[in-house]
Amino acid sequence: MAEIQMQTDVPTPQDGLEQTNKKCPDRWSHLYKILDRRGPFADPSFTPGHGEEILLNTCKVLVIGAGGLGCEILKNLALSGFKNIEVIDMDTIDLSNLNRQFLFRPSDVGKPKAKVAAEFIMKRATDVKVTYYHGKIQDKDDDYYLGYQLIICGLDSVDARRWINATLVNLVDGEPERIRVLVDGGTEGFKGQARVIIPTITSCYECSLDMLSKQRTFPICTIANTPRLPEHCIEWASVIQWPKERSDIKMDTDEPTHIQWLYETALKRAKEFNITGVTYSLTQGVVKNIIPAIASTNAIIAASCCNEAFKLITNAQPYLNNYMMYTGNEGLYTYTFEHQKKPDCPVCGNERVSMEVSKEITVEDFIEYLQEKQDIQLKKPSLSHANTNEKIYWQSPPFFEQKTRPNLEKKLIEMVKQDDEITVTDTTLPISLQIVISYI
Amino acid sequence: MIIDKKTQKYDRQLRLWQASGQTALETAKVCLINGTATGCEILKDLVLPGIGSFTVVDGKIVEGSDVGNTFFLVSDSIGTNRAQAVTEFLQELNEDAKGFHFSEDPVALIENQPEYFLQFSIVITTDLPEKPLLKLADTLWNAKIPLVIVRTIGFIGYFRIVLPEHTVVETHPENVIDLRLDVPFPALEQYVNTFNFETLDSMDHAHVPYVVILLKYLKQWKQDHDGKLPSTSAERNEFKQLVQSGRRNVDEENFDEALASVWKACAATKVPHHVEEIFKNSSCDSITIESSNFWIIARAVRDFVSNEGLGLLPLAGNVPDMKADTSNYVAMQNIYRQKAKEDISAVRTRVHDILNSIGRPAEFISDDEIDSFCKHASFIQVIRYRSLQEEYITEPKKLDIGRWLQDPQANIVHYVLIRAMDRFYESHNRYPDAATYFLEDDTEEVSEEAKNEFNTLKTYVDNLLREWEITNYPEHLDNHIHEICRAGSSELANIASLLGGMVSQEVIKLVTKQYIPMNNTVIFDGVRSTSSSYIL
Ligand SMILES: [Zn+2]
Repeated sequence: MAEIQMQTDVPTPQDGLEQTNKKCPDRWSHLYKILDRRGPFADPSFTPGHGEEILLNTCKVLVIGAGGLGCEILKNLALSGFKNIEVIDMDTIDLSNLNRQFLFRPSDVGKPKAKVAAEFIMKRATDVKVTYYHGKIQDKDDDYYLGYQLIICGLDSVDARRWINATLVNLVDGEPERIRVLVDGGTEGFKGQARVIIPTITSCYECSLDMLSKQRTFPICTIANTPRLPEHCIEWASVIQWPKERSDIKMDTDEPTHIQWLYETALKRAKEFNITGVTYSLTQGVVKNIIPAIASTNAIIAASCCNEAFKLITNAQPYLNNYMMYTGNEGLYTYTFEHQKKPDCPVCGNERVSMEVSKEITVEDFIEYLQEKQDIQLKKPSLSHANTNEKIYWQSPPFFEQKTRPNLEKKLIEMVKQDDEITVTDTTLPISLQIVISYI
Repeated sequence: MIIDKKTQKYDRQLRLWQASGQTALETAKVCLINGTATGCEILKDLVLPGIGSFTVVDGKIVEGSDVGNTFFLVSDSIGTNRAQAVTEFLQELNEDAKGFHFSEDPVALIENQPEYFLQFSIVITTDLPEKPLLKLADTLWNAKIPLVIVRTIGFIGYFRIVLPEHTVVETHPENVIDLRLDVPFPALEQYVNTFNFETLDSMDHAHVPYVVILLKYLKQWKQDHDGKLPSTSAERNEFKQLVQSGRRNVDEENFDEALASVWKACAATKVPHHVEEIFKNSSCDSITIESSNFWIIARAVRDFVSNEGLGLLPLAGNVPDMKADTSNYVAMQNIYRQKAKEDISAVRTRVHDILNSIGRPAEFISDDEIDSFCKHASFIQVIRYRSLQEEYITEPKKLDIGRWLQDPQANIVHYVLIRAMDRFYESHNRYPDAATYFLEDDTEEVSEEAKNEFNTLKTYVDNLLREWEITNYPEHLDNHIHEICRAGSSELANIASLLGGMVSQEVIKLVTKQYIPMNNTVIFDGVRSTSSSYIL
């Protein structure tokens, strides 16, 4: 990749390297065959014989997430010759992680994932330096992210991925040397995807929001009045009964006694309505929104991400342009394609979004519409008039929220005329969206 | 209720294959031939979810290059037995999986004592030359033990499943709805007749389950159309109008659901084609003491279909969620469930009769197994793999390979190269390994030896193509020959890990008999980031 700037001021674990080379001759012989020899498919900029200086000594990589994908990614990078790795994760280790997060042992339960993972990798592969940060990605600033050549993301949270994606796109700021490539992986059961995002050049994570499977939700009136499924009874226990009966205690879905209470409450309701199928495991699955996760899918997706990272950094082969989908429940299939940039993407696009809404729509309903729209999915949108800067509704700070709250009941047309533009921001995401309104 | 530690540890996978799948996994004994990087990655992804036991057979001594690409080795392992070294590190991953090692050259073991491998439930080979591979494949084929052959070279991964037959009941289809709207059974008809739409208040009218709405109007339609269902798109639209006419206002979501399901309602319920094919199988005709449970139940279901089933499979009995009040929904659900129970009970009687006729006790097949078969009857699968003998010797897929090779993007090219590499190994006792590729403007050209390496490998490719009667040499093959020489049988950690994930996933499917495994070869290309399946 021509755009990637090599950083030469990085301290290298030279001593460790020399020691290992002595102790472990030919260690990298598999890699060097690829790195020392020209290949028919290699990028034209590939120069054989520079593997060690490019890969082994100078490249700094950031790994976001030390969970199912993160453990695999760290291992693969260490075995692919990467020597300077940082890992960020805010979680601690849970017993249910151990069926796939292979850097953790039962005695590690409760400890920070980032720390245990980093230390394990360094213990096993002695010549790699893995630093860690146990905390949120949002704690770090632009300079921090600029310090890495490549960022590999193995997260299970859509919000965190939207945040890092928007941050990296905003980082570019018109200067190509500020581009930091994002390799993103995600899994769900037997399915997953790996993709390469070159901020401002290729499509970004936000461009593809509408590809996410929609989270299953249950209408509140069904839960309250006409339950039919065991899930309806569980939602009733957690959404309606908990606040009613245990308002003094904050529900913690990691607390077994809380799940037990929800399970028993749901079971009672199910019995009353002759509904079968409420189990402890289902209760846990519904209230924690558990997504099945297995070692094999994580291995496939993480390996694909690291293969792309290796190709991006060494130029030894062309890298993925830009999306690989994987599904393994029926046979085994991948689908590789170029996901197209969305011209009106709120993060990387430069076109304004046009929306047609009813003349009757209230500000409150319009906000709800923005939250539910599959390709936008804002969490807590704040609206201002783009031309006048007048605040339509702001979620925070509390002072402005109170001041603009009366506007919620107003019709949008009272505040925004035909073809006027609204600026939408979201406190949870570093994005700003321009919407041109027309009424129907 | 207290959830035990094991259930907690495996929670995220139990949601995919349940306790039954986990038990199958925990009783499986897997054997890995050669503790290569790829082999270790496969085992890692089997040990973590709790495979019963694993045995590594490997006669090699650990070298520095092994430590470089294998996470389950350290520099202190150099000079020790590779089988033992990797087994110890893999064992650390999960105490539930029991690790064994056998430091013996697998090629010699296959030659002298092939019956050694008959103790395992599945055998995986990495980096095994063609000759011993064919012998091992024969041995396991006769014993009906699955064999998975795995290769990684540079950026390429390949694996093949060899097994005479694999049957699956729990295929986990995404949509299992069977409502019998075109052929309602008597209890369902009676239930629909209890509804009088005109007398319902607006609340109740908006909560009539859509199944009832459709059945009611379909009955009316059939009365007006000689008992026939709407079949053309014009008729379906006309029927939609009829349903629409019963609607009181736009807010009635149950009518939305009914309209959305018109197409499904008008499709005839029948035995799916692939299930009919399974019924036609000779294993279904002749049930003997050798027959597996799958074929015994399949036969019972086939007999059910042609008798009391009136041409239909046993009802699954699931009802999807729909707009309805609780009591109506539960009542309707019970009607479907009751019918499913009756069907299962009829099948069970037939299973017991069959078992009796072959001298087996009734409890030879559990009620749960019969239950599960009936509930999945529309989705059962039988896969007959081709043997390695057929692929390599007696019936190679000449025509298909020739055709597939014409597409420069097709991954079949890697198959040709792997087979050619094996031929190369057969005569040279090593794999091709040299920098053979250069650019036109390069000042330094490649050495004579390197050119020879390229030409030798190309000769093997030519020989194969000739054997397969492929006359026009696809030009793009040259570049792939260069790439194989460049890779020099190197095993990259990323490709090893990716194949580890793919292979372990398929092993889990084979062992748990859940989900549908691939048939029979998958090739991954890490240069283009694509994969393909072929029946070879
Ligand atoms: Zn975008």
